[in-house]
Amino acid sequence: MQVKPLQDSRFQAFVLLGPALVVYLVFAVYPMVDVFVLSFQRWNGLDPERAFAGLSNYKYIFTNDPVFWVAFRNTVIWTVLSVIFPPAAGLLLAIGLNQKIFGRGTLRALYYLPVIIAPIAVATMWRWMYDPFFGLFNQMLAAFGLQGLIQDWLGDRNIALYSIFVAYFWQQVGFSMVLFLAGLQGVSQTLVEAARIDGAGRFQVFRYVTLPALRVTTTIVLVLSLINSLKAFDIVYGMTGGGPAQSTQMLALWAFTQSMQIFDFGRGGAISVVLLVITIAIVVPYLRWMQRRDTGE
Amino acid sequence: MSTTTAPASATVADAGYGSARRRDPVLIGLWISLVLVAVVWIAPFVFIVFTSLKTTGDVMTTGAFTPPATVHYQNYENAWARGDFSTTFTNSVIITFIKVPLGLFISAMAAYALARMRIIWGKLILLIILFGTMIPFQVMLAPIFTVVNSFGLIDTYPGIILPYLAFGVPYQVFILHGFFSVIPRELSEAARIDGASDITIFRRIFLPASIPVLAALLILDFVNTWNEFAMALVILQDAGMWTLPLGLMSFQGQFSNDYGQLNAAIVMTVLPATIVYLIFQRYFVSGLMSGAVKG
Amino acid sequence: MRLSTAKGGLLAGAAALMLAVPASAQEISLWTLSFSDVQRINDGFAKLEQQFEAEHPGVDLKIVRRGTDEHKTALRVATGAERGPDVYFMWAGLGLGGEFVKAGLSQDLTPYYEKYDWADVLVGSSMGFVEQFGEGMHGAPYTFKGEVVYYNKKLFEQAGIDEEPQTYEELVETAKKLKDAGIPAFTFGGTVNWHVMRLMDVLLETTCGAEKHDALIGMELDWTEEPCATKAFEEMKMWATEYFLAPFMGIDNAQSTSLFFADRAAMMLEGNWLVDQIKEGADLSNFGIFPFPTGTGRLYGFAEYHYINAKSEHKDLAAELIDLYLSEDFQQETLGAFATTSVNKNVEYVGDISDMEREWLDVFANHTELFVNGDQGFPLDVTTEYFRVINEVASGNLEPAAAAQAMQTFIESNT
Repeated sequence: MQVKPLQDSRFQAFVLLGPALVVYLVFAVYPMVDVFVLSFQRWNGLDPERAFAGLSNYKYIFTNDPVFWVAFRNTVIWTVLSVIFPPAAGLLLAIGLNQKIFGRGTLRALYYLPVIIAPIAVATMWRWMYDPFFGLFNQMLAAFGLQGLIQDWLGDRNIALYSIFVAYFWQQVGFSMVLFLAGLQGVSQTLVEAARIDGAGRFQVFRYVTLPALRVTTTIVLVLSLINSLKAFDIVYGMTGGGPAQSTQMLALWAFTQSMQIFDFGRGGAISVVLLVITIAIVVPYLRWMQRRDTGE
Repeated sequence: MSTTTAPASATVADAGYGSARRRDPVLIGLWISLVLVAVVWIAPFVFIVFTSLKTTGDVMTTGAFTPPATVHYQNYENAWARGDFSTTFTNSVIITFIKVPLGLFISAMAAYALARMRIIWGKLILLIILFGTMIPFQVMLAPIFTVVNSFGLIDTYPGIILPYLAFGVPYQVFILHGFFSVIPRELSEAARIDGASDITIFRRIFLPASIPVLAALLILDFVNTWNEFAMALVILQDAGMWTLPLGLMSFQGQFSNDYGQLNAAIVMTVLPATIVYLIFQRYFVSGLMSGAVKG
Repeated sequence: MRLSTAKGGLLAGAAALMLAVPASAQEISLWTLSFSDVQRINDGFAKLEQQFEAEHPGVDLKIVRRGTDEHKTALRVATGAERGPDVYFMWAGLGLGGEFVKAGLSQDLTPYYEKYDWADVLVGSSMGFVEQFGEGMHGAPYTFKGEVVYYNKKLFEQAGIDEEPQTYEELVETAKKLKDAGIPAFTFGGTVNWHVMRLMDVLLETTCGAEKHDALIGMELDWTEEPCATKAFEEMKMWATEYFLAPFMGIDNAQSTSLFFADRAAMMLEGNWLVDQIKEGADLSNFGIFPFPTGTGRLYGFAEYHYINAKSEHKDLAAELIDLYLSEDFQQETLGAFATTSVNKNVEYVGDISDMEREWLDVFANHTELFVNGDQGFPLDVTTEYFRVINEVASGNLEPAAAAQAMQTFIESNT
């Protein structure tokens, strides 16, 4: 025992914390910093030198890029849809599956199944279902004599984004459902029983007992849905690649396209920064709220 | 709703009788609608499996939910060969089987250090790591590519595993930190008095105690790693290094008009994760719950 | 290793030394695309490897194959790093090939062209791009491809069409007849942007003529000031709304090919590679070809080149590899493996080839000049915008004049 305890524990802390921290800093934090740096540079990924470009990349994406605002608008629409529909449907399912009904374990498993499937596989599946000639949807419509409703689901710019969203919805509902189910476990059963004995109907119990108790869960579900929606990349890439005519382009995908396909790392960086700033603007208040809640308990 | 009030409160009164519960018309209606929606929910899988067993000719001429007249297994065989599934499958297995345990291990170590040791800037480090749970890496694909490239690791296993580790750390540390923080002090103090070091305490006491949480995280991480696409797309350029999702995407690009084989490829890509899910279903839910709600 | 067990350690050690020296000194690599679905090309490369290694004992030729996008990215990575290929495949044309030339990844091949007299054996049109990159000669032809209109004879007959259209007006007339008979004239797949782009390319050639078309693609002329550009967009819109098999934006080129084979549309604008696909998936005798009647006499097509990496340490060896590839003997032996038509003009086409292949040979023989696909002429960012504008016009969301304006605005803000 020659080593002083303090040094010893420092060394141990280093051993324990080091690997995770180093990997995290190098491969996650540094790229995040680098994306800011890149956004002020002009670089094609080829040259050894990255030239300083000032604000020109930002100026370009905000004023000249014919796709940026489309992608921005789509990202906003997508986010709003993602925050409303999957959580709402997830809540309904969770309430239903929280009742003691026959086979609810199986039903839960079924609803959750799409969540564990690779988004790229979901994209491939749905792309096939949307096939205008032989796909599921148009075949069904034809079978029911509804030829008038047949669409080029992914080829018509007016509906393509929503077609993709339906696939995303199908995949995401189970996620919200599970979180709400967890939240429902926390709803005090005594309170529910008491309310019922007082003559409260199902709806009233739900409105005045269950819903308030789910407030924390709801916040978490909404924030997670929002963050997940900003990550939507695979499913768009796999279903339309941003087409037709870039009408389903999203910020994350457009940043990727600029950087890795057009090889303009500066513009790609600037687009990424816009998305990062939006994300941080949402995340920071949320983290502070979580911390307050933690210390509050 | 008001009409159901009376029977509903009645069932509360005689809750002991299961038969009364089963006759509740609201619950029956609920059950029927849940089952119907579930049927719609799994219909895509049925459609995909049926298509995967049909010849291209059958696909074009038979209905979507018509079972294949003759089962055309060759689609699987052909898709496996044309899509080079043996390569992509092997790569996925190697990457997942190294990344997942390794990632959990380093996250657990870090979570222990942050939860139970006094570390300078410990709070700040924790905050920086937690921040990572919220940041979509999809935003940073290009700089991740640049970093990995600067180490000369494009198209290598370490080149993909290291960023995977980096983006797996935050969530796992977050969960495990929460778990370690509530383990009673007495448990570790006794060992400490016996002269055990932190590393020993971590290994002998905390690691065994957290096995249920680790199991949940292991399965979640397995599925996430197995399914990951965007980062692999950027880092694994060489077809010989591709993972299953990349192989599937490429398959779709090349053979989109061979519907039977395309769907066979989808089934083969999806199957491993589905099996893991069905076996370890319980852990999924607990893993997700412990993470998001209790944390 | 077998040697060492047989003859003992000392001898084996000496043998290993002797073998090891040249092997480690001479390894050259060729990066090309993975043609996983076309066995003939892979066989051709296998033959190349075998012959080259036989002629150069101790040299190991490594052929690395990748998918298109992966190949491009790998080359970018190679530009920044020290390691890289000795010879690489890339399209000719300023857009794709030119970018790597600009980045300094291509060796000036002038001395090799002189030493081996490649110009004497090459088909004229295949060399069309060698000197376009500015100073020096870059790249040696690997293959060249033409794109023409394929048509379904049965459907033409059904619509009462008995002659291949010779002019653009006749083509429009043909389309009208088809439409009257309830047959969509063309099928395209919109999800892969370059498929619909082909029609735009030939329309620009038709309305603008060769010189102006080149100048527009070269971004030397103002798209808004040339009425022919707007005119081409107008024609594009007409074809897409009147004569395409609909819907087309939600399917890709492979699906569109399937529909073409299934008699769902009468024509397709495709390359000479489609011949093999027809052989596999349909009856070749039911299909015919004619060049899109642009009226300029140029063939729509492109060339693919092998470039020598300027950073290669084995440039002379790399040139030998290219020389072997271009040689009459090798080309004759592997005829049909890499492309229908050889880049070597001395190759003889004998044996039983189909009528359509014979027709293709005539097409190549009758055209000395090429005009390239738009995505090979433009830089990458302009190509992306070109795709977007074409798709917008084709799906009726953008007026032709506005389309020309959009192109010009984009070009100006990016140069």
